Amino acid sequence: MHISDGVLPMPVIVAGWVITIILLAGTLRWAAKKGDIAREIPKLSVMAGAFFVASLIHIDIPPSSAHLILNGLVGVVLGPLSYLALFIGLTLQALLFQHGGITVIGINTVNVGIPALICYLAFLAGSKRGIPLPAIGGVCGGLGVLLTVVLLVLVLVVSGDQFFAVAGLLAGAHLPIAVAEAIVTGAVVGYLVRVKPELLPIPLKGEKK
Amino acid sequence: MRYPDIDKYAWLDSPIHRLEPRIKILSFTVLIFSAVFVGNIPAALLALAVALLILILSRLPVRFVLQRSTPILVFVLPILLLMPLTVPGTPIWSAGPVAFTEEGLSYAVLITIRAVAAIVLVLTLLGTQRIEATLRALSLLRVPGVIIQMLFFTYRYIYVMMDEFLSIWSAMRAKGYTLRPNRYGLSIIGNLVGMLLVKSYERAERVYCGMEARGYRGKPITVAPFSITAADYFACLLLIGIAGGLQVYPLVAL
Repeated sequence: MHISDGVLPMPVIVAGWVITIILLAGTLRWAAKKGDIAREIPKLSVMAGAFFVASLIHIDIPPSSAHLILNGLVGVVLGPLSYLALFIGLTLQALLFQHGGITVIGINTVNVGIPALICYLAFLAGSKRGIPLPAIGGVCGGLGVLLTVVLLVLVLVVSGDQFFAVAGLLAGAHLPIAVAEAIVTGAVVGYLVRVKPELLPIPLKGEKK
Repeated sequence: MRYPDIDKYAWLDSPIHRLEPRIKILSFTVLIFSAVFVGNIPAALLALAVALLILILSRLPVRFVLQRSTPILVFVLPILLLMPLTVPGTPIWSAGPVAFTEEGLSYAVLITIRAVAAIVLVLTLLGTQRIEATLRALSLLRVPGVIIQMLFFTYRYIYVMMDEFLSIWSAMRAKGYTLRPNRYGLSIIGNLVGMLLVKSYERAERVYCGMEARGYRGKPITVAPFSITAADYFACLLLIGIAGGLQVYPLVAL
């Protein structure tokens, strides 16, 4: 899923870094307006660590075997700061496990981070309409992976016609993961609603809407 | 699941290990970017040769490098297999509708060599110094404090969360759970992830209170234990020179 070094041409890599830096600066500014960013750093980091470990869970779905991405869930739980958390997660994944290259951290963050932001908005919109939360969670989980695959295919096709077949193969291999991830995310959201609803961006019982 | 022990050979001694971390990061980054963008196969081979030479100088065990570079196969294998068959061009070999084209093959080989050269350089950079040294050097290189602090904290908590995960996981396995890709198996995984998040959130609250009580206000206190010597400057110039050479070489050779 995470693109390696040496695959993409220069303009795509530069564009990835530019978009990532703009989004990081934007979400950080947003967070600074809402409250003290220093308060957020330790919490965000511990959560990012938990997501990092959860994304190491290996699921074998014949014929492929994959790790969970969980970007939909990260988006739902962490909101706009999910972009920063995913950037940190991907950087550490590149540094510690070589999942994804160093030069492509920008574009890889775009691929998983933008779907996370979209999932956050989708979750907010869905919960306002009163749809059961685990169901929206499941949709967000699947949507996160699907959007990531769409972006990945777009990136590869923009990089050159040569990548057409490779992009198709990767997209096909990720469809089962989207389903698995929808089920997992739905279950996580259901669990959080019961156990710790303050982790979700929903008004709590007894709190004014 | 294994611990991310990327720096387990940081205690070795070699010219590469002795380079000052800031210098090493700067010059290797330039070299990696250069290797990733080389334009033709001879230049890419040159980049790979440089990368392997640096790897030999660093005395990192070959097994470590081989094990660590397997993740790139996910991308490189499909490219190597599919590109020669799908890119239109002059066929080298064909059987019926299937044609093996020269353009596809050379592009796939170019990408593969670039990817291998890059991963060898990345592993030599990260494998020859403690990850703490890397992060501290990045902070001295003016990477924003928020990013550095988050990298430090997250890195530290990955270990804690892994232990947390493994203890839940072994409890589940002791009760007879095996992971199957069906609805039940996956929703149990969902509960596991949820539990991990709740535990981490509660831990995060405690960590934050503990840190605030000890005077944390969001500003890291950096000490600079590194000192740059003349040899470091020389190595830096040499590596950046090679990086430039890799970019110039295809232009001259053509």
